[in-house]
Amino acid sequence: MKKLAAILLSAAMAVTLVACGGGSTAPASSAPAESAAPAESAEEAAAPAAEGDTIKIGYISDLTGATSLWGTAGQHGAELAIQDINAEGGILGKQVELIAMDGKGEAADSVSALKKMVEENSIVAEIGTNFSSCNIPMASVADEAHVPIIGTAASNELVTVDENGNLHPYSFRMCFIDSYLGTVIGNYATKTLGMKNAALFTVAGNTNSESVGAFIKDAFEANGGTLVAEEQCQEGDVDFRTQLANIGSKNPEIIFVVMNDYAKTATFAKQAREMGIECLLMGHDGWDSAQLAGEAGGALEGCYYVSRIGFNTPEAKAFGERVVAEYGGTMEAECLFGRDGVYWIKDAIERAGSADPEAVRDALEQTDVFEGLIGTLVMDAETHNPSMACAIYECKGDAFEFKEIVEAQ
Amino acid sequence: MFFQQLITGISVGGIYALLATGYSLIYSLLDFSNWSHGEFAMIGAYTAIVFSTVVKAPFALAALAGVAGGALVSFLCERFAYRRIRRNGAPNMFLMIAAMGLSNVFQQASNLIFTGQYRSYPFQLPVSTVKVGSAYIGVLDVVSLLITAVVLMALIYMINKTQFGLNVRAIANNAGAAKVLGIKVDSNIAKVFLLAGSLAGVAGVLYGMKYNVFPTMGNVGLKAFIASVIGGLGSVPGAIVGAMLLGVLETFVSAYISSSLRDFFSFALLIVLLLVKPSGLFGVDVQDKA
Repeated sequence: MKKLAAILLSAAMAVTLVACGGGSTAPASSAPAESAAPAESAEEAAAPAAEGDTIKIGYISDLTGATSLWGTAGQHGAELAIQDINAEGGILGKQVELIAMDGKGEAADSVSALKKMVEENSIVAEIGTNFSSCNIPMASVADEAHVPIIGTAASNELVTVDENGNLHPYSFRMCFIDSYLGTVIGNYATKTLGMKNAALFTVAGNTNSESVGAFIKDAFEANGGTLVAEEQCQEGDVDFRTQLANIGSKNPEIIFVVMNDYAKTATFAKQAREMGIECLLMGHDGWDSAQLAGEAGGALEGCYYVSRIGFNTPEAKAFGERVVAEYGGTMEAECLFGRDGVYWIKDAIERAGSADPEAVRDALEQTDVFEGLIGTLVMDAETHNPSMACAIYECKGDAFEFKEIVEAQ
Repeated sequence: MFFQQLITGISVGGIYALLATGYSLIYSLLDFSNWSHGEFAMIGAYTAIVFSTVVKAPFALAALAGVAGGALVSFLCERFAYRRIRRNGAPNMFLMIAAMGLSNVFQQASNLIFTGQYRSYPFQLPVSTVKVGSAYIGVLDVVSLLITAVVLMALIYMINKTQFGLNVRAIANNAGAAKVLGIKVDSNIAKVFLLAGSLAGVAGVLYGMKYNVFPTMGNVGLKAFIASVIGGLGSVPGAIVGAMLLGVLETFVSAYISSSLRDFFSFALLIVLLLVKPSGLFGVDVQDKA
């Protein structure tokens, strides 16, 4: 019986996979032609050039697969940044060159791409990938090769610190770890909104929800606030009135709703209003959906969530538009990571006064503040986890609008 | 607080009841648990979505179409899958496996057709609440409970007072003897699938109105199945009582003990009941449960 169920399941999965593949080949198919060519020509061109003539920066991401939409966006951002830098005279008087290789979004391919560019291209540093699953194994390779790597959207804690809590000295990242938003939310609620009593709602067993929730609690209580109610639901729940009745009886001024599913958040808000709970609701990047405000049908009016800044500054928007004008496609925030990665390495090389990978690593680690298009980044030398500026979004009518930037904390 | 939680529990139990009766009806006739039953509710909900968004039918019509959609798919499953397996003389286990397969196929198919996105009906549903004492009762909840009550009472009347109900009870008791006495077994089974499917359709539309419509919403069928076992598989009143009991128990566990222990208590209740009274609260049939 199990066997048959397994066969049926796998058949069903195969059907979905084929269907998914069908949908995503369109954007992917155009990518390899564009991306493979510069990568190869760059390698060929690099070989005859004498060592030290140019500064080579590596870039690894999925350039041909299902997620190449992001991978190529990052590559394009990095290329455009290098064009700009070269036009202004390069770094320390040397021209800069991007070595882009396809990691296919797979750990094994990303690791071999990194080894190849370290051995054959003598890169100074590498940018990417956007996946924790790739950057975790890449971190050990970087440590051995003594070449710094910078993950873009790789948010898992193990990217920069191993299971035993030891730092990977050559592994960095440009995004904040999942739980960081909790601190930002807790601080904003107390310091900016002046909230004293709050309730916390998380999803039991969901690592992201529980860890963000724990950080909200720590920050909120550290600033003198009181958590009057803590409730949880289970994955897949659609009715929250039981927990809401408990929360409502404590009369909180604000409820932190840490769910990663916008429709559940909308249902939560509607049920809260139905039960006469009119207080403010606030959430994390799990609220980041264009549908949320409309789905909530007014129940979230005036409520906030905290997330990345994205294209909400004029500079970031202008750069995103330049990338689209140059390479086509859609505006993907990954292009900002690619661009900022290049500029961060430039900043490190200039501070170190040398393009030696080890010197660059030290300079990256000693970054006080790096002002990029993704926001202000403050490096923590102990963990290599940056604190970053975030954006507050407020619900107005049928959409969430960018409200303000909160600085790194 | 207590009253508020009780109301919530009953309204959750109402949805379970609509589905649990379907499990019971089919089990009473064919001695197997129709694992694709929850998906009939999902299909009903999506049918109503299609009618209200694509065809732009008024909500009452779309809701009726949803009920019909659940009934039709249930009927077709019986006609083209279960009936053939029955005729081959295959063991009941085969029916259950076929049902599991259908359940997967329906879920994946709706994922492909409608994507995993959450959908809601394009109507301003009554979201207002009535305050009774210290409790808030949603108008939508009251409406859906009333509909559930009417539908379930009609069902009980049908099973107990009509010729069709008598036939169904006769087949449930002894299909062979019923056939000898001139009852058309296959056509009555087909009618029961239509009936169970339309109950699931009602559940699906109500569920979609209260929460959202999404491909895995049929998973609520598992809870309904537990309810029908608690009530006694094969017993329609048992399924209703079991569903209400389960809905209220879950709500109280979430409210006064812990939400994360809710399912633990549901399944513990099931296990204890199967140990103490294996036939369930109203059950008649002990062997071959689930």
